[in-house]
Amino acid sequence: MAESHHAPPRRILLADADAFFVAVARLVDPDGAGKADLLIVGGERNSRGVVCSASYSARKFGVRSAMPIARAVRLCPDALCVPIPRRACSEKSREIRRVLARYAPIVETASIDEWYMDLGGTEDLYRGESLATTAGRVRLAVQEATGLSVSIGGGTSKLIAKMAVEAAKPKPGTGATGVQIVERGTEAEWMRRFELADIPLVGPKFQERLGKLGLRTVDDVLQHDLPALTRWLSTSKREALWLFDRVRGIDDSAVHPGEQAKSISRDETFAKDIGETAELERELLRLATRAAFDLRNDDLAARTITVRIRDFDFRTRQASRTLPEAVISDRVIFATARSLLAKLRRARRVRARLLGVALSSLAPYESSSQMTLFAEMQRPDSDTERDRALAKSVDFVRDKFGAGAIVPAGLK
Amino acid sequence: MRFTIAREKLQEGLSAVTAAVPTKTTLPVLANILLETTDKGIRLSGTDLDIAVSTEVLADVETQGSITIPAKKLAEIARELPSAPVKMSSAGEQKVTLECGRSRFKLLGLPRDEFPSFPTVRFNESWRVRSGDLQKLIGHTAFAASTEESRPILNGVLWELRPERMRMVATNGHRLSKMELPITSEGAPSGDLIVPPKALEQIRKLFPAEEDLEIARGDNHLAFRSPFTSVFTRLIEGPYPNYEQVIPKDNDRVALADKNVLAQSLRRMSIIASDQTHRIRLAFNAGMLKLGVQTPDLGEAQDEVPINYEGDPLEIGFNANYLIEILRYMPTDEVRLTFKAAERAATIEPEGWKDDARYLGLVMPLKLID
Repeated sequence: MAESHHAPPRRILLADADAFFVAVARLVDPDGAGKADLLIVGGERNSRGVVCSASYSARKFGVRSAMPIARAVRLCPDALCVPIPRRACSEKSREIRRVLARYAPIVETASIDEWYMDLGGTEDLYRGESLATTAGRVRLAVQEATGLSVSIGGGTSKLIAKMAVEAAKPKPGTGATGVQIVERGTEAEWMRRFELADIPLVGPKFQERLGKLGLRTVDDVLQHDLPALTRWLSTSKREALWLFDRVRGIDDSAVHPGEQAKSISRDETFAKDIGETAELERELLRLATRAAFDLRNDDLAARTITVRIRDFDFRTRQASRTLPEAVISDRVIFATARSLLAKLRRARRVRARLLGVALSSLAPYESSSQMTLFAEMQRPDSDTERDRALAKSVDFVRDKFGAGAIVPAGLK
Repeated sequence: MRFTIAREKLQEGLSAVTAAVPTKTTLPVLANILLETTDKGIRLSGTDLDIAVSTEVLADVETQGSITIPAKKLAEIARELPSAPVKMSSAGEQKVTLECGRSRFKLLGLPRDEFPSFPTVRFNESWRVRSGDLQKLIGHTAFAASTEESRPILNGVLWELRPERMRMVATNGHRLSKMELPITSEGAPSGDLIVPPKALEQIRKLFPAEEDLEIARGDNHLAFRSPFTSVFTRLIEGPYPNYEQVIPKDNDRVALADKNVLAQSLRRMSIIASDQTHRIRLAFNAGMLKLGVQTPDLGEAQDEVPINYEGDPLEIGFNANYLIEILRYMPTDEVRLTFKAAERAATIEPEGWKDDARYLGLVMPLKLID
């Protein structure tokens, strides 16, 4: 094979569904949510849930995601509040992905409403049309097939596609068209408009460390060479190199095919460290039931359950168990998590600042329905018919009345 | 300690005990075997604390004594030695010298006191069983025992000993296998023993089929004894679930099928079955069995197998692997399957078996969801 000195530039798109939860809520309830200009999705008006998403009009009142519903209602009293239509969201998400897969050989589901597409090798297929033209056609196809609109950012890397998509969003008054492609060679220039906090994976802690060095914007970093960054970010050379590349728009990470999350996790950093086992178990119950709910919403089942605990002194420990078969029920997941917590607490019984539950070894949920010979010998670590029926009823109530509408008695 | 032994005798003794020596252990002495002189020769013993094997081989003993030496190394040496008398002697507690022809080895052992003592089992109330009969029972049932830790009782094989018959049963709660043989063991008490399959497997391999074995029960142990070799195993504490209650007596739909044709078809279908459930669908109709499998995100497959069936049409789901496995152990070319309904246990038996043993496999169905 002839050696190629210049690989063709990569052609990466990021499709991001516009106000996804709001749009789906309007689709499933055209007469209610569909007609409300001020719409908050997350739970019923008087529920204790948090805002998952809000319509653009409601956002003008200061409503933001992750805000308690009660507070959002105070800010925007006329808004209609509806629970998250989870099943419809999962379905619509899969529908969008299917459309994208018609255009791109590799599609990576980054979240329920974001997908990376690698169009590498399609130049001839699309007869050399520009990435912007292809993106425009993809956008129309999604709209036509699903009734939902997506914005598309694109360029030579996942980072650039991500940094472009916000500018593509057709928000009122911006003049954006729904597609924003950053041309090859202009990546570094494009990055200069951002703050470091806008770059994916630059979290609050990293921001704080950078802030102490006087680095807040991309421009701040561009003034320094790699040796200087390495010296300042004494933790590792890799981190300095990573940042050095990112502010120049360089990112060679690949678009990974596959649509399933590798794990579903929930964790909680406590406002105050918890030392009581009973109280930790209560937190664990809350986390386990939420993770199990998310699991079922994605039509998945999990075989491995992990409990993670961070002690008051920041020592993080974890314990896992893999069950003989994949499970979905709160009962088995909590019982397993509880015995793992007991194991961790036996090893070191100190105050904890964080607790988390993760579900992994995920597989599409299938009810196995293997009948057993000895009724009295139902395995304690597998779902019973009753567990499955109960989980379905609970999910039904939560879908209809919000996540807080039905909770285990221990959490009342 | 000093003795001379034929290389073949040493190897014979070693091969009997090394199977009980664990490959990985936290207790170093368990990687060793115990060598003791007796009146007629030497006794070799090995154990992993679940199973213990002890065997005596002829040797020329000069001075009495005992020592433990690394089992694996000794077995490797014995394999490579020329066919000549082997002289072994120990100076002090921990050093063994081995000479054979012009080869000479010095091995470091561990004191005899560190080696665990074997359970005491009295043979005054014992059963006598032909090794070949035992091999037959073990070989047809032990596979069905559970390997999951959640229900320890099902990790064992139930062995029922009665004056006129013995029976072995194993199940994982979803499928079951049962075999029964007539015996005559006069004067012996009845007993229900739950034995780890690993120990049974050792016994199946260790004793020649024609040998008569004496079997006796201790507090938590079971001992098997032939003139030269003893095996001890831990017993699992019962009670075993009431399996007789779940064996159907009124299955009125009967199918006769060619075992190999059916197994081949099941194996073909199972390629497309779900990795999790292995679900396949069987539809019995007069003269024809239709097999089907449908797995989301993968595909579907169908097959047909001619059978002898005259009952009402029946559709039933199974874990394909359970059926394939049970068929593998069926001793006849033709098998007899019986059913009652789609949610009831199915049985599989050998058809036209000229044997005084009785053999039964049982599989619980999978619910079919449309």
